[in-house]
Amino acid sequence: MDEPDGWYAVALGADIEPSTSAGTRLFGHELVVWRDAAGAVHVWEDRCPHRGMRLSFGFVRGDHIACLYHGWRYDAAGQCRFIPAHPDLAVSPMIRTRTFPCRERAGLIWVRWGSTADDAPEAAPVEAAPVSPLRSLYLDAPAARLAAALGGAGSDGLARLDLAGSPVLVAVQPLAAAASAAHIVVPAAPEAPTADLARLAAACIALRRTIEGAAP
Amino acid sequence: MSLRLYDYELDENGYKVRLALGALGLDCETVAVDMVPGAEQTRSPLIDLNPLGTLPILVDGGTVLREAEAILAYLARRYDPAGTWLPQEPAAFGETLMWLAFATRELHAASLARRAALFDHPGDGPELESRSRAAFRVMEDHIVLRGLSGAGWFAGTGPTIADLALFPAFALSRDFGIDHEAYPGLRRWSRRVRGLPGFRTMPGIPDYH
Repeated sequence: MDEPDGWYAVALGADIEPSTSAGTRLFGHELVVWRDAAGAVHVWEDRCPHRGMRLSFGFVRGDHIACLYHGWRYDAAGQCRFIPAHPDLAVSPMIRTRTFPCRERAGLIWVRWGSTADDAPEAAPVEAAPVSPLRSLYLDAPAARLAAALGGAGSDGLARLDLAGSPVLVAVQPLAAAASAAHIVVPAAPEAPTADLARLAAACIALRRTIEGAAP
Repeated sequence: MSLRLYDYELDENGYKVRLALGALGLDCETVAVDMVPGAEQTRSPLIDLNPLGTLPILVDGGTVLREAEAILAYLARRYDPAGTWLPQEPAAFGETLMWLAFATRELHAASLARRAALFDHPGDGPELESRSRAAFRVMEDHIVLRGLSGAGWFAGTGPTIADLALFPAFALSRDFGIDHEAYPGLRRWSRRVRGLPGFRTMPGIPDYH
């Protein structure tokens, strides 16, 4: 599948709690999204250089993430710093994992994908007005069909959608050829009425049904 | 009180009971049964305790129970007089039973998928995976909706035996090839389950987090 350069949302910020990690995909490439104990987010290739185990299966301690297999620990720059089987070893700078520029904006975690990945971190989508997280909706449908149903994104990477009479902001994540995610936030103060959010969440389920059921 | 549990360590149904024993802080004698490959539960003397030839089996004095969900309900009613884990309030009680039924029926596909993957039991892998994903999606939609109204658990206002009955299938889903990518709500909920007093792991569920 095409992999256009750009910023892509990979999770709601609220869904990646401090000291946790989650696996996801972008264009079929496996990524780990994790938040360190201090609250900073990181998006890396989801692969421990040692045995190829997914780092998203591992665990976060402070500002390191450790692999579930053998406990190799990586710092925030993706550099391996500690190998439990060789506690006295000064770990080679060659043992590092691929990291991607990432930012938290508009209640979403964004990753910069593509050949110019390292030179435009300031081009992350601008901060929208205050938002409340609604939910991430995972669909068995291609990202293109999801994007078409949403009516196209603005320059900030967010589509504006009227959902059950309320405006929502949606970012599309192409997971794989036939799978995508819609990360949905509500442009409102955090104290939005919960009844309203519940109504919108129900509308999300209807939206997913419509898009998955639509002819390709 | 003298509780005895006939159990197989890799069995997710036995794990449900172990979670409840931990949550209630109960001591229990465990009898390890050779379920795979021995199928010991299908022969005497265990078949005399449970004619269905399934695990787990709980014996408490003269009470002999099979079916993990029934055992959970029994333990809660018998040893949790405050009604925390099996709420008395009618709506919360009904919701708890609704999700116990879900754990028994809808998540049976996940149980079969895991047995096919781990133990080479017969089963249509893709079909079981698809049904498991459908069940996890229903759980995800529910827990997301609950979260938006400020509740973190499947039924009632706090953790119940419904959460304990639902947890193993999701937490073990990587055993049969379903990652947690599409279930951020369940991911956060399982972290809450892990934080419950008396929580314990089993093979396939790491000790970290």
